[in-house]
Amino acid sequence: MSQAQTGSMAGLTPQEVAFWLGKAVEWGQTESPDTQRDTCLHLGPLRAFLQLLLTHIHTRSSTTETMRTIPFVGQFLGRLCWNPYVTADAESRSLLLQSLWSLYSEEPHNAVERKANQWIRNLLCQLATEEEDSTTHMLVKHMGLPPKEYNVKVLRKMVWLLVEEVGESCSSLADPNPRCSCDSVLAASVACVPLVTCLETAPLIGALLQRPVTCDKAALSQDFLDAVSSAYSRKCVSLEAQAVVSLWCHNLASLEGAVMSLLDSVLSNPASIPHNLENTITHSLLPKACSQHSSIFLIVNDIFRSMLVQVEGNQTLLSLIHTFTLCFLRELAALQPQECVSLKAFFPHTPQSLLAPLLTHPSEMAQEAWPEHLAWITASLQRLTEEEEEGNRGQCGVFEAWFLLVQCADWLEVASQQLVSARPQDCGPLLWLLTFYHHPTNRGHHRTQQLVAAREVWDHLRSLFLLSAPPLPADRLQSLAGLMSAVPQQPSLDSLLVVSLLVNFAVFSLNPLSGAREIVRMVVQQSGLVREAVCVLDMVELRLNRERASSSLTDRVKLRTRALRGTLTHMVRHDTDTQPLWQRWDTHTAVPGCSTNQTL
Amino acid sequence: MEAVVKNLERTMELLAVSQTETVQRWDKQTLDRAFQWTQYCEHVYTRFHANPTVRDILEKQLQVTNESLRTTFQGYTDFTFSDLSQCQHLLLVGLLNNAAVPSSVIKLLFDTRTVGGKSKDATGHCTELIEVKSARKVLSAIYLKRSTSFPGPDVDVIGMTLMEILDTLLSPASGVSKVGLAEKLLDNILQTCGENEIFSGVVAAALLSRKHNKTATTAAATTTKMVSEGVSLDFILVWLQQHYSLLQHMCSTLPIGLLMDLYQQSVRFRVTYRDMLKQWGSQLEYDMGEGEWVQMYTTDGVSFKTLSDHYRSLLGACPSTKEDVERELTELKVADGDFDVGGLSVWGDLLSELNKV
Repeated sequence: MSQAQTGSMAGLTPQEVAFWLGKAVEWGQTESPDTQRDTCLHLGPLRAFLQLLLTHIHTRSSTTETMRTIPFVGQFLGRLCWNPYVTADAESRSLLLQSLWSLYSEEPHNAVERKANQWIRNLLCQLATEEEDSTTHMLVKHMGLPPKEYNVKVLRKMVWLLVEEVGESCSSLADPNPRCSCDSVLAASVACVPLVTCLETAPLIGALLQRPVTCDKAALSQDFLDAVSSAYSRKCVSLEAQAVVSLWCHNLASLEGAVMSLLDSVLSNPASIPHNLENTITHSLLPKACSQHSSIFLIVNDIFRSMLVQVEGNQTLLSLIHTFTLCFLRELAALQPQECVSLKAFFPHTPQSLLAPLLTHPSEMAQEAWPEHLAWITASLQRLTEEEEEGNRGQCGVFEAWFLLVQCADWLEVASQQLVSARPQDCGPLLWLLTFYHHPTNRGHHRTQQLVAAREVWDHLRSLFLLSAPPLPADRLQSLAGLMSAVPQQPSLDSLLVVSLLVNFAVFSLNPLSGAREIVRMVVQQSGLVREAVCVLDMVELRLNRERASSSLTDRVKLRTRALRGTLTHMVRHDTDTQPLWQRWDTHTAVPGCSTNQTL
Repeated sequence: MEAVVKNLERTMELLAVSQTETVQRWDKQTLDRAFQWTQYCEHVYTRFHANPTVRDILEKQLQVTNESLRTTFQGYTDFTFSDLSQCQHLLLVGLLNNAAVPSSVIKLLFDTRTVGGKSKDATGHCTELIEVKSARKVLSAIYLKRSTSFPGPDVDVIGMTLMEILDTLLSPASGVSKVGLAEKLLDNILQTCGENEIFSGVVAAALLSRKHNKTATTAAATTTKMVSEGVSLDFILVWLQQHYSLLQHMCSTLPIGLLMDLYQQSVRFRVTYRDMLKQWGSQLEYDMGEGEWVQMYTTDGVSFKTLSDHYRSLLGACPSTKEDVERELTELKVADGDFDVGGLSVWGDLLSELNKV
């Protein structure tokens, strides 16, 4: 049905009108299962038509005029009002009532309008007070039940009975009967299309979604799934978590919709991250679904990968992927042992040698073991990138390894922390890891130069933070700031890398807090990267909270992070640069990923 | 008590006024307040319906108010104590049928914005009603095996509520038990239904309502509760025995499966039921011409086939009493002369029918 506004009745074509009038009559005449099914299947288009009708009525100047242009409207609306499939659906019901009220004239000017008013009032009265048969009505009164409460109780009882029955799987395995109960459940799912938004019937919708699948026949109609999916995305239906997971299993489009919705809410509101990020992600129920079905995890990751290609170097997105993976791993750990699937099912393309090391969380091993572990990871990654450059493996190996690093970014932050206290001879691999994370592809073979630049930054920072007394050498500060600002001519380091190092030094170094604060303040002010610094500080704090390390570092470090936050917050208020973080990226950051094999 | 009486008076006036032209001045606030008053009345009913003393006092007061309102309002219909539970409904009907109600007020009742939780106020009240009724109709058209079984959810709810009321009336915890009120209640139901399927359904639903609850009760069910459950069940059975033809009608028309459920649940019912079966059997006479057992003299008995169906289900459904029943039948056969030839003793023929399988 096209939305084009052509036709004699300003949007209502005669064919459409005839079609829907015919339908209304047909549906009202018989109550056979076929007509009921027909009504449910036409609910979507009917809503669109009712919207057109409503718009038409609104654009008329009076009811008299409406009756002249569309004389059928009264009969049509009247018939639909008595069709329970139409009135059970929230949106159709709303459109019907709005249309009726639009036909009501506050000050009727003639007999037509007076009659219309009377008709509308009568119709509404009957709809609301239509009674059971008199015997039931008397019985209800004897029981002292208010009629509305009685109706609700009966409805709940019906839902309960159906839930019980739907929950039983069909017996086709045990008893090879060609007519298993899936047929009647399928019909039931069609009939439930109008009930998707009704609060009282939510348990039945959930039961249908979670019905155990034991035979080949489809037990849920596509229209039902589409209706639930649409209602869920508009937040018009209350489903319990497992029902949502089942919905996603049945309907790919709704899963994709949920992922896009999550991405949307996070990427368009970077100010709220990262503290609320975990909440938002858990609330979306996606990690839970991923832990129960590896296929869902793979689809979600595919969407993440394609987003990474589209929005390069977006720190918010990288944080999202990292936090998502943490939530996912937590859900996975909480599963019952018999439900566990091997990790390979969840990470099929990742080089096996990296899977276990990266997925092990830093808090699962002693801090003393971190350097060796990191060295192992770095060595593996280096080997991988060398093989790729020699043309032995496809590029995808490197991309998948990088993606896994993004998912397990806690190790990256550990590396940054380690760099604060590392000796000059040990810092090489750690710097390599950082550089690899921020510049995964070695386009134009700039990595060597980037590594040199990184080493320079590290040297500067180290010397700055090792000084115990002010004044701070201005020249060092300036050169540091210079390294951070983007220089278009030559490939420069991702400014986030530098900020990240800076903040880590400030938090974890042993020099006095006042000195650290001063350094941070001056460098950040000169380079203008206040928000980035706040972001990095947030991530450090969150990681420390997660690890809850029992080392003596914790209290001291907490003081420092709090103090630094104060300094930065003070600067944010004076920051005139209003460009949001996610729009800024270093245009020289290489594009990660291989477009040939990773496209969806 | 005085406060309650005054409030009831006010609400009755409100109801009377809502049907006159004075409502032209009503707005959202008036409507909401009116709804609150009716909810108050419903609450009064819930609190005092099982308390005969208070009920009497209130009834008398209602009569007094009725008289004065009758003189003030033309076409006034009296308001009784049992109307208290329907108060909100009465208000709604009155308003919707009153052409003088401003359209803004009606619009509020049919408001379509969805409310989060259970809304107790007037806005959208009618929309919710329509939603619930429509959902009921849609679900009733779904044909799945169990959900269309007798007696149906609407009768089920009535039966369950009946049981709850009886529990309240008859529980020893609430002081003097109000057997009189309980009997009156059952009499009222009988009068409303007549001796038809609905009545059987209501009673059956009431008697079986415990079966569903049993699976859901927690382990900490107190003994007093269990005692009161048994009390209500027994009460109904005793009442039924005083209306013997009803009992007979029920047993002959209810699905045998339901009767078996009852049999398993209540000892009193077992006795009643088996006595009834014996009576049915004794009413059968052997028709030489047709060569089978038929009802000669009464119109409300059962056929031989039905009787044997009952006995067969009985033997199958309840292993603990199987031997007992068989012994009973054998004893009756012996009393009739212990013949193995057909046509001489209904009990003998029954036994041989049952042993055929």
